[in-house]
Amino acid sequence: MVPTLGNLALWLSLVFAGSQFYNTRKKNKLKIISISVIGLLISSLFSFFLLIYLYAISDFSVLNVFQNSHTTKPLFYKITAVWGNHEGSMLLWIIVLTIFNYFIFKLYNKKNFIFVSKTLEIQSFIALGFIIFTILTSNPFERIIPVQENGLGFNPILQDPALAIHPPLLYIGYVGFSAAFSISVATLVLENGKNFPWYKYMKPFVMVAWTFLTIGIALGSLWAYYELGWGGWWFWDPVENASFMPWLLGTALLHSLIIVEKKQSLQTWVLLLSILAFLLSVVGTFLVRSGILTSVHAFALDPTRGVYILLFIAILGGYSLILFNSKSKIYSTKNYFNFFSKEGSILVNNIIMIVACATVLLGTIYPLLIEALTGSKISIGEPYYNSTVVPIMLPAILIMGVGPILSWGKESVLKIAKKVSSTFIITLTMTIIIFSIYKSYTFLGIAGIVLAFWIIFNNLTTLYRNKFNNLTGTVVAHLGVGFLMLGITASSIWQVEEIIKMKLKSKTEINKYQIVFNEINEIKGSNYLSLRGDFLVYDKGKNIIARLKPENRFYPVTGNFTSEASIHTNLFRDLYIVLGEGNVNEGWTVRLYYNPLVAWIWIGAFTIFLGGIISINRSLKKIPK
Amino acid sequence: MKSKFLKLPIILFFIILFIFFYLLIIDRNPAKVPSALLNKNVPSFVTKTLVKNEKFSSSKEFGDQVTLVNFFATWCKPCKDEHGFIMRFSSEKNIKIVGINYKDNPKKAIEWLKKLGDPYSSVALDKNGKIAIDWGVYGIPETFIVNSKGIIKYRHVGAITPKIYKKINLIIKEIE
Repeated sequence: MVPTLGNLALWLSLVFAGSQFYNTRKKNKLKIISISVIGLLISSLFSFFLLIYLYAISDFSVLNVFQNSHTTKPLFYKITAVWGNHEGSMLLWIIVLTIFNYFIFKLYNKKNFIFVSKTLEIQSFIALGFIIFTILTSNPFERIIPVQENGLGFNPILQDPALAIHPPLLYIGYVGFSAAFSISVATLVLENGKNFPWYKYMKPFVMVAWTFLTIGIALGSLWAYYELGWGGWWFWDPVENASFMPWLLGTALLHSLIIVEKKQSLQTWVLLLSILAFLLSVVGTFLVRSGILTSVHAFALDPTRGVYILLFIAILGGYSLILFNSKSKIYSTKNYFNFFSKEGSILVNNIIMIVACATVLLGTIYPLLIEALTGSKISIGEPYYNSTVVPIMLPAILIMGVGPILSWGKESVLKIAKKVSSTFIITLTMTIIIFSIYKSYTFLGIAGIVLAFWIIFNNLTTLYRNKFNNLTGTVVAHLGVGFLMLGITASSIWQVEEIIKMKLKSKTEINKYQIVFNEINEIKGSNYLSLRGDFLVYDKGKNIIARLKPENRFYPVTGNFTSEASIHTNLFRDLYIVLGEGNVNEGWTVRLYYNPLVAWIWIGAFTIFLGGIISINRSLKKIPK
Repeated sequence: MKSKFLKLPIILFFIILFIFFYLLIIDRNPAKVPSALLNKNVPSFVTKTLVKNEKFSSSKEFGDQVTLVNFFATWCKPCKDEHGFIMRFSSEKNIKIVGINYKDNPKKAIEWLKKLGDPYSSVALDKNGKIAIDWGVYGIPETFIVNSKGIIKYRHVGAITPKIYKKINLIIKEIE
């Protein structure tokens, strides 16, 4: 009964999406359009909640529930399992899409009827594509006969709070770019010209998408940090790259929109960027779902799905880019900027983001390209990205430290020097202090730390001088980037790693901390068995500062083993212990990490998120009424 | 923007799409790498060894006993995870293991082996990844079983897990 209802709701949403497409295209009355938009929203939400309900009551007559859930699973993870698999996550994608669709609809006023209708038409086309895809190839309400007694469980490595909210946040990011895409295509089709403020409508969507993409990526990274047990937080996995690329373009887009808003120039560029950002989001989905690449995010592999998404991308991309090619000229201007100005710095930032994005894209698809051309397989790992993307991003960070304090128009070098002199001195002092503590000198390390402090103090002084104003969101977000840089650099260059065999009661040392392997116990969790080590951490004064309890878990339902790292965090460093293979006689392999300042990565990401939220609020107020 | 540039995104876009499409329709599974080398002779190569920097010649190393060949690098995190198993092959099962250090910093690799233990009878250097290409290595870690006649009998892509560890042991028993 309930699965049939869910299926019905899904089909109903298809009907509403179709009717939205038809009615907006015919420019029918607002009332008729509003029925489609609200109908689409309600029907898709309804089918999503029905799926959640099916998971909550463990209805194993549904194939999707059977494959991904189990009665022993805690309720919270039963619910999050809904989007932990391909079919359910497509449904999540659809509801985020319809929610954005609704917000576009809310933009209607007397003056913009044609523009918003066109945008909704494009948006409903995207919705149609994804709903048809879900119904045809990934229907989550498919039944299984006979009804199964219990489910197959759920990949335990995904059974985690950070990862539970990671996909929804990420999808707000990806799908948010769909609104920017639709607005861009509508602008190109309608040829309203340079003076129509389409960019003011686009900006809040880009802000929302970018802000949530940022926090979504950060949560995924946080999860990888404590769950994968490798002591690192970024692995240049194709799936990570798939979210990082739209983020880079989104960053460029966001900043370019500021110029468009102020100077009305750069419109062509922004129209292109917003198309590309969404296309890359969908390409990312394709890479993950088609099984064309192997990665830690092993969703079900099915070539027909890949072909379908690819076809859809070809239609979206082909149409929008050809449109861009033929119609964008009327939006171009011949305004040139001074290099030492706010717009100059934003432009340089733009170029760097594009280059970085292209570099990541190349690294991600190069193995595929080589395989298509020669048939042989190669792999591209961390060394490629570390030696390309990192140096590319450094100048962007440098400019970020200066850009926001520059004025619009022209600025003399002397004036700039005056503005930054005090920050310059603080940065220098802090850098010297921190290097006298860590005593490790590499070019990238010094550059990273100097830039991080530079940005932090620059933005702190701005924040202090200006009180709360229009720029507060920007300044807070940039401050976050400074924290992020500090954490990334310090944990990359000063990480200490020890891998040793430890017997019970034995001791070891890592960076002035003494670690004692106190005991090991068998623990029975809610749906797993676990071997839990107990490690005592002593500081220099022989005081116990922490008890770390890394675990090796076994999930009987799926037969998976996972390792749970145990971490002691403070603002200065993380102590990170992973329990490996072993037994009582020979001892256990234990991996210990000393990760300096790593907490600042998450503080930074959250600060950026906060800055984003403040800016969203402001850009909402600027929407033409 | 010049109109030439306006075409650039479309062209690039369709090139990328074409590659994706081609890879989708040809019969391939990225997880199961086609092992063209299975049941064939070990590709021959000559290089230097890691620790002592001596000559390493494949014709001398393979063909007298069952040998495991393990591609690894210090920058490869899964390699660290499987290292315990490689150690066990060497210490518990007494199997000859040849390591191939892939695109790595030799100094780091030496330090790594000192820390984690060195299960390899010798480690061949593959600084630019040429040997890996000959062996058809897709991503590291990868492990091969070579029989006593120098013929490749099994290949595993990715880190060794408890399951694979058992499987490899079974295969070795069979071919011995």
